[in-house]
Amino acid sequence: MANDPIHQFHIEPMLEFSVAGYDASFTNASLAMVGGAVLAALFFNWAMKPAAMVPGRAQVVAEGAYGFIHGMLKDAAGTEGVKKFLPFVFTLFLFIFMSNMLGMFPGVFGIHHIFTPTSQIVVTAALALLVFFTVIIVGFAKNGLKFFKLFAPSGVPIYILWFVIIIEVISFFSRPLSHAVRLWANILAGHILLKVFAGFVPALAGLGLVGILGASLPLAMTVALYGLEFLVAFLQAYVFAILTCIYLNDALHPGH
Amino acid sequence: MADRKPPEDALSDLRRRVNAARGDGPSNDPPPQSPASLALRYGGEFGAAIIVGALLGYGVDYFVHTSPWGLIVGVVLGFAAGVVNVVRVAQSYSRSNPIDPRAPSVPDDEED
Repeated sequence: MANDPIHQFHIEPMLEFSVAGYDASFTNASLAMVGGAVLAALFFNWAMKPAAMVPGRAQVVAEGAYGFIHGMLKDAAGTEGVKKFLPFVFTLFLFIFMSNMLGMFPGVFGIHHIFTPTSQIVVTAALALLVFFTVIIVGFAKNGLKFFKLFAPSGVPIYILWFVIIIEVISFFSRPLSHAVRLWANILAGHILLKVFAGFVPALAGLGLVGILGASLPLAMTVALYGLEFLVAFLQAYVFAILTCIYLNDALHPGH
Repeated sequence: MADRKPPEDALSDLRRRVNAARGDGPSNDPPPQSPASLALRYGGEFGAAIIVGALLGYGVDYFVHTSPWGLIVGVVLGFAAGVVNVVRVAQSYSRSNPIDPRAPSVPDDEED
């Protein structure tokens, strides 16, 4: 079908090979992820090349992004968090942001559509689990067994403590799930919505003059949604990064 | 041009003024959260805790062979954890968006 709104999420292998019996082909999703990472690296390399005292436009963007994440991490996790985790959080933010932004392009250079890696829950879940295990490993490495204080808030009477601990453990394990699903669901829903509204345009325009007039409505809607999707692309990268900051703060200061 | 300051003074003066204009608060305003994204956040936190609670209960069933009691208890505990999650999100939201003390009070329709 020509305008299948789900078709944009199909994964097509580009270089097929397997590792130890597992399919490890280089797909269009892999290409988009590599593209996101390379674009972020190239942009910062290019923008910071002059390293001028009075920054140019590109340098303002690069320094602004750095300052934005720096301030966010400092507010959430303090100076210690900035010292330890700024490269991690900044990399995560840039990768997600660039992947989202790449996905906003319908297609360039003969690639007939660009895949949005963050619309696959495998990708977002891998990122969320990366944060989750970082919190656990850093938490135990830095605090030792005191990390378990995260599950036992102070000031709880002893006879109810066991119940609170169970609840806190479930709450802790639900973090990577909601962390991953939020990014994935927003991007997936937005892209499907765009394709559905865009699909109305040719379908209506095929109905003659009245249809062409009617087609202008979903066309206007698609343009408006595209603007909204750019906001969502940034906002979800921001939300992912700020939640990462909050979780990392727990690893450094588990006592609430 | 007699009152022109030496460059070091001008630079430190500029720094002082920039710092004063920026203030000491959060260096960047976070983008405002739309009601829809807030709603999705609440729903996500609540649902995620239930799913994880159910999975943990199911895991207990699988290893200890207590089916279906682990699943039942797990779902109930997941609900409780979900409520805790939602309360926590709401707390952090109201901490970052305090009620304006100058806002006019809204009359309620309760008879008292």
